[in-house]
Amino acid sequence: MTHESQANMEKSIEKLIYRAALALDDHNWDDWFKLCDNEFSYSITSFSPEINKNMTYFSGNKKELKGLMDMLPKHNTDHSPLHRHTSVYTVDVADDGKTADAISSVTIYQNMLDGINSHIDSGESRLFVIGKYIDKFKITDGTPKFMSRETKIDNRRLDKGSHWPL
Amino acid sequence: MAPRNHKNWLSTPKVEHISSECYNNYSIYEQEIEQIFAKVWVPMCHTSEMYNDGDFRSTQIAHQNVVALNVKGDIQVFLCPSIDRPSGNGLNTDGLKKLHSEVKHGGMIWTTLDPNPSQSVEEWTCGAFDCIADAIDTEEMEVFHYHKAIIDTNYKLWHDTNSEFYHDFMHYFNRVSGFNDEYFARKNIPFDNGHVNVSTFTVNYEEYEGFEDRGELSFPNLPPNQWYMVDLFPGFNFNLRGNAYRSDTVTPLGPNRVLIEFRGYGLKKDTPEERNTRVKAHNSIWGPFGRNLHEDLIGVAGQGTTMREGTEARNILHGRHENSTIHDEVGMRHYYEAWGKFLGVSPMNPLAMLQENVQAAE
Repeated sequence: MTHESQANMEKSIEKLIYRAALALDDHNWDDWFKLCDNEFSYSITSFSPEINKNMTYFSGNKKELKGLMDMLPKHNTDHSPLHRHTSVYTVDVADDGKTADAISSVTIYQNMLDGINSHIDSGESRLFVIGKYIDKFKITDGTPKFMSRETKIDNRRLDKGSHWPL
Repeated sequence: MAPRNHKNWLSTPKVEHISSECYNNYSIYEQEIEQIFAKVWVPMCHTSEMYNDGDFRSTQIAHQNVVALNVKGDIQVFLCPSIDRPSGNGLNTDGLKKLHSEVKHGGMIWTTLDPNPSQSVEEWTCGAFDCIADAIDTEEMEVFHYHKAIIDTNYKLWHDTNSEFYHDFMHYFNRVSGFNDEYFARKNIPFDNGHVNVSTFTVNYEEYEGFEDRGELSFPNLPPNQWYMVDLFPGFNFNLRGNAYRSDTVTPLGPNRVLIEFRGYGLKKDTPEERNTRVKAHNSIWGPFGRNLHEDLIGVAGQGTTMREGTEARNILHGRHENSTIHDEVGMRHYYEAWGKFLGVSPMNPLAMLQENVQAAE
């Protein structure tokens, strides 16, 4: 890749990460899935100093995720919206231009709506989780798509939360 | 039946009941810390959290900082006021007061602040674990999951969700995978000291769209897709679903605030593939982003809101008698009978009796 095409691809991937954040904030799962390759896999992980282990809190491939999202209306969930503040730290495109890796910082706020004492709580924004997005991309004909996302959160305290991917 | 007015609503029910004062009064909370949590055996952590010589793990029981320490394979527990970390290696125990402790029931580390416990752990649990003993004691278990939640609710309301099963109606997963004749025939079985267990049935996981049968990798001596639950007084829960095991421990932080710690377990001998299967099965129902746990937390948070301190006392009915089957409130009645004995009060009118006890003591 030329230096210029590599820089352009890095910019495309950065935009892709931000578009994913917008789609997730809007619960627009279909638009999110369109940004992902068919082989996409997703996980939420954390390290616990309490038990001294790396942990997986949630995982699934694209098909499993779509199925879970389709089932959500049947479940009781906290509908307080989540807002992702994402900063892309690094984007590394492979020399052959076919894959890329990116690491972003993510802070997710929960804007209280319902579920506890809505008369008092609704409208308040609370820090929900902090962590990093560790993303891998497949680049086909100059178009990047998510191959995997590991949402590695620092939190081990997760109060009444949500069923949604972060 | 005519609609009930306010007077009807507050009148004494003709069936077993308790008062909502059990859930929201600071004096009762203080008595619970002193008379219950400072005296009972508490499952504070698991041996797999401290494999190496010198490893330690801390917790808090009845406002006291407590540390479990691996001393060349022997687990010892101490009061440790200055502990400032959840875990680590290397702890000077000079001058620390040693507590009674045992490793029991699937490798859990049990301790008590009681300097002279009248019962061993085996005697305290008095048979409540027998139904899953062959499954959790045959092979060494290993913890793979830990997270915690702090919820504005009373700790007993969390324990109640594991005791009354009619809240299962709020779980879509349970409605489709479990509500059949076998489910409704499950029995609540009381044991001394306020413990209860809930007998098993076969969960039809494949009835939930996208889920598969979980017969593979069942715990030792456990038939496929079974689901046992042990509710241990005053707020510890052990849950075995086919290929994954879970424990909950509560630490009351106030009359309307509780810390709940959730652990998930597999077998130490698991291959990486087997462990992944168990982790995924655990997370799908019990993980912080799973189908059921979050729904339970929403439920008890709502109960905590409606019964918070200052709200009008009301009666909570425990009157369902259905041959001890799954929605019979025998488990609730049994628990609150033990709770009342520990505090020397009636759960139907706890505050009045508590005040009488205080006056008598003065």
